[in-house]
Amino acid sequence: MKSIPLRILAITLLKELGLASLLLLGVSFVVFVILYAAPGDPFSVLLEGQLPSEQALAGIRAAMGAQQSWYGQYFSWLHNVLGGNFGTSLHSGLPVAGELVKVSLNTLYLTLGSMLVTLCIAVPIALYSSMRGHAVAISWPLTMLGYVFSALPVFWLGYIAIYVSVHGFDFFPLSSSGASDGNGWLYTLVPVLVLGLGSGTISEVIRYLREEMSRVMAEDYIRTERAKGASVWRHAFKEGLLLPVSEIIAAKIPFILGGAVIVEQIFNWPGMGRMAWQAAQDRDFPVIMGIALVAAIFVRVGSLIQRIVYTAVNPQGARD
Amino acid sequence: MAQPLLKIENLRTYFYAHSKQAFVRSVDGVSLEVGQRETVGVVGESGSGKSITAMSVMGLISGGPGVIGGSIHYASDKVQKNLLEGLENYVQLEEGNGRVLTVKKDESGWQKASEKLMAGMRGKEIAMIFQNPRASLNPYITVGEQITEAVRLHSGISAVKEARERAIHWLERVKIDSPRLRYNSYPSGMSGGMCQRAMIAMALSSEPSLLIADEPTTGLDATIQSKIVDLLQELKNETGISTLLISHDISVITRLSDRVAVLYGGAVVEYGPASQLLDAQAGFKHPYTAALLASVPNQQKIRARANLQAIEGEVPDTINTPPGCRFYARCNQITPEIRDKCAAIHPELKDVAPGHQVRCWRFIN
Amino acid sequence: MRRSTRVKKYIQTSGEVSDFSKLPLHKKFSIPDLLYVGYGLLIVFLVLVSYVLGAFNLLPNDPQQINMDMLMAPPGTGGHLLGTDFMGRDIQSRLILGIQAYFLPGLLAIFISLSIGIVLGVLAGYRGGYAETVITYFTNLVDSFPRLVLILLVIAAFKPDIYYIMMVMGITGVPAVANAIAGKIRVLAQKNFIEAAIALGLRTRVIILKHILWYNCRALLIIQATLGMGEAILLETSLSYLGFGVQEPTPSWGNMVQSGANYFMQGNFWPSTAPALAILFTILGFNLLGDGLNNMLEGKRSR
Repeated sequence: MKSIPLRILAITLLKELGLASLLLLGVSFVVFVILYAAPGDPFSVLLEGQLPSEQALAGIRAAMGAQQSWYGQYFSWLHNVLGGNFGTSLHSGLPVAGELVKVSLNTLYLTLGSMLVTLCIAVPIALYSSMRGHAVAISWPLTMLGYVFSALPVFWLGYIAIYVSVHGFDFFPLSSSGASDGNGWLYTLVPVLVLGLGSGTISEVIRYLREEMSRVMAEDYIRTERAKGASVWRHAFKEGLLLPVSEIIAAKIPFILGGAVIVEQIFNWPGMGRMAWQAAQDRDFPVIMGIALVAAIFVRVGSLIQRIVYTAVNPQGARD
Repeated sequence: MAQPLLKIENLRTYFYAHSKQAFVRSVDGVSLEVGQRETVGVVGESGSGKSITAMSVMGLISGGPGVIGGSIHYASDKVQKNLLEGLENYVQLEEGNGRVLTVKKDESGWQKASEKLMAGMRGKEIAMIFQNPRASLNPYITVGEQITEAVRLHSGISAVKEARERAIHWLERVKIDSPRLRYNSYPSGMSGGMCQRAMIAMALSSEPSLLIADEPTTGLDATIQSKIVDLLQELKNETGISTLLISHDISVITRLSDRVAVLYGGAVVEYGPASQLLDAQAGFKHPYTAALLASVPNQQKIRARANLQAIEGEVPDTINTPPGCRFYARCNQITPEIRDKCAAIHPELKDVAPGHQVRCWRFIN
Repeated sequence: MRRSTRVKKYIQTSGEVSDFSKLPLHKKFSIPDLLYVGYGLLIVFLVLVSYVLGAFNLLPNDPQQINMDMLMAPPGTGGHLLGTDFMGRDIQSRLILGIQAYFLPGLLAIFISLSIGIVLGVLAGYRGGYAETVITYFTNLVDSFPRLVLILLVIAAFKPDIYYIMMVMGITGVPAVANAIAGKIRVLAQKNFIEAAIALGLRTRVIILKHILWYNCRALLIIQATLGMGEAILLETSLSYLGFGVQEPTPSWGNMVQSGANYFMQGNFWPSTAPALAILFTILGFNLLGDGLNNMLEGKRSR
């Protein structure tokens, strides 16, 4: 294998980074607009740390030189965020940034794990049913099962999983309860499985991968490889599996993050989703804004990776 | 005459047209031979079953029901076998009223048996080049690597470096400029003609006994077409490889073939030495061949300002085969004496001269 | 024939070779696709009927009547076809009434997605260029938010109101519609369909409204609408679990699953499972309808 020209990769990386930062700027603006339009002037809360009384407000602002205009507020907030200052949680009084790092790692673990589960199930089914002369008797029920899991409410699935773990395997799959006894990973396995199965993406992943693989198998160059006596799989792998998998992962990250909100709630998982829920309950604006930004960063990083895989596989833009 | 390298007998390949709920008999009883060091051209309109014949020989037919029966005897120095040996057991056929009514085929059993028969054949004994060379090369791998892969698979050279040198050698032989540089090109960065040269290099790099060229010049610019034909001619002289050349382009067939088979409606209607068959003045010609030749411009016709003749009528549908000659509806050489026979009975291929056969009632008494 | 079970059989129709458009349905399309679509249509019909029944209060039992003597009764007891919930209320009636919670908000979400999506999709596909760049940016922007996180943000800023939530859902559903339409227009343009229409002297308005949207996109829009309804139900279910959905005692399938799930550990599955199954069968119907229709339109055959 010839190594891919680093220059091309670097250019792609820069281009995609530029696009991602442009999008994140847009995200921050949307978040700002929502909060700016909200009743109770939450934005001042954000900038000033606490909710001041009406009379004090004008005085404080004047004294601190705080911005009055909406764009002034936006830019001073953006400046803070860029400097790593996401504000202070109204609920706990702790700086949001530190908390975010902790919980986002937990969520990352949950989402990556569940994605792996989804792929481990979807890829074999998709490959099997895209092969010629496959037995419909096997692939059809599997595909159907994918549909069923995608249509079930994820928290109902979660409750079933808890019930089965408790009554069937005699352990309580909640991450916060004593995960220190050596097999802590077991406790984390159930939430990962539930999210992987129930995030509502599995049937779509199966369908997409199967269609892409079937399409590639019908390409002229695959016919050439068969005529050449070479391994079809070796040649179909890049376009038929690697690219679609990277695409579907990037496209499904937002859905899985959404599902994580529910699953974290069920299993008491100390992640972003649970924190977001708590923040929504408490109307803890700094926290929920921070989470929205971090979630958007996750999504953008996902598509950044996808673009890089695409460029690496396809260094001269062989196909668009 | 020595044993032919490839002997196709009564090959039948059918497809099921979902939109019509009926079977299309793409190849319906094709028989032809390719001798050692010989180039056999197969010519015919689109839909006559030329390409399907080639794909059937390679065992590359996808889509059901596919190859139904016949035999494909292959006999090189190293391998002698029937590529469809015993495969008929997997198919049951029911016909009636000039139509195929049911086909029962054990697809997976057929596939497995066929793969077993084709093992060591594809790429090694029989190599193939296609039309639209650009789409036929893997766009994600450099051209050089693809040739190297073929070399390593079939030439017994496993050392990467050696295989690479061999690949470059073949790039040179197909006259690609600066082959060392081109080795690292992706198909998207090369012209169609260059891609076809690379395809030819890949096909020949494993030194097969038979090359199947399926419309090798179609879709290329006229000047490049001519260069590809020159290249094929040269390589044929150098290596003495036997070739089954499929083309709708009579000029390509004329320049390369020793013998020619004319396909019409999924069957061979004329088969003979290229010099006789393609000579518009020579006698004993199937009306379809005559019409085909009359539709091709050449110097004489241009000088004489003669009109080119289109072949009247449409390509036959191979779903309903009428009992008579398949060319009956379009034929302009029917004489009153044979009209009844033409309409009622499908003629056999008959010798009209040594090694020259025609499927027409005019030559059968 | 060795293994007769694995033999694939191809049959030709008797009589004349037929025209595709005249074939009977089961010959034109694959049987699974027809089953999918048939099942989906049945579900759509049931949802509509339930909506009407709920709207006119034509329910088998009073959905709010609490009966402490019959808590969590199994299906079929005491005139309760689907049993009772943890407060002894009739599950069947509550399921039928639960549709009310989704119907209008869901339609609102669908309306927003479709109307904005159509405009953007037509702009991107028909105009291309600058408009397309802007729309791609917008699409990527909306896709950057996990839907649930955005909704939690809106809930925190405003209040947990189903109409706010459905508006967010409608807006986040825009990219899917816009992309589908733009993609369809690009396919049409590749076939020189649009040039041909322009060459015929048709007005742009006629081309877009009649020839593109009506003749070529209507099925696609129907698919998007059914999928949207399915998503609305799943979203409300998730929010119910989080406590931001439709509030008790007004029934929604989401809050029924949620409140019933509290009794899971005692082994009382039914009050939660009944609405969960209702959700399953409904979403399954919508998804299968969408996929089946899609296969039929694209001329693909389901496996």
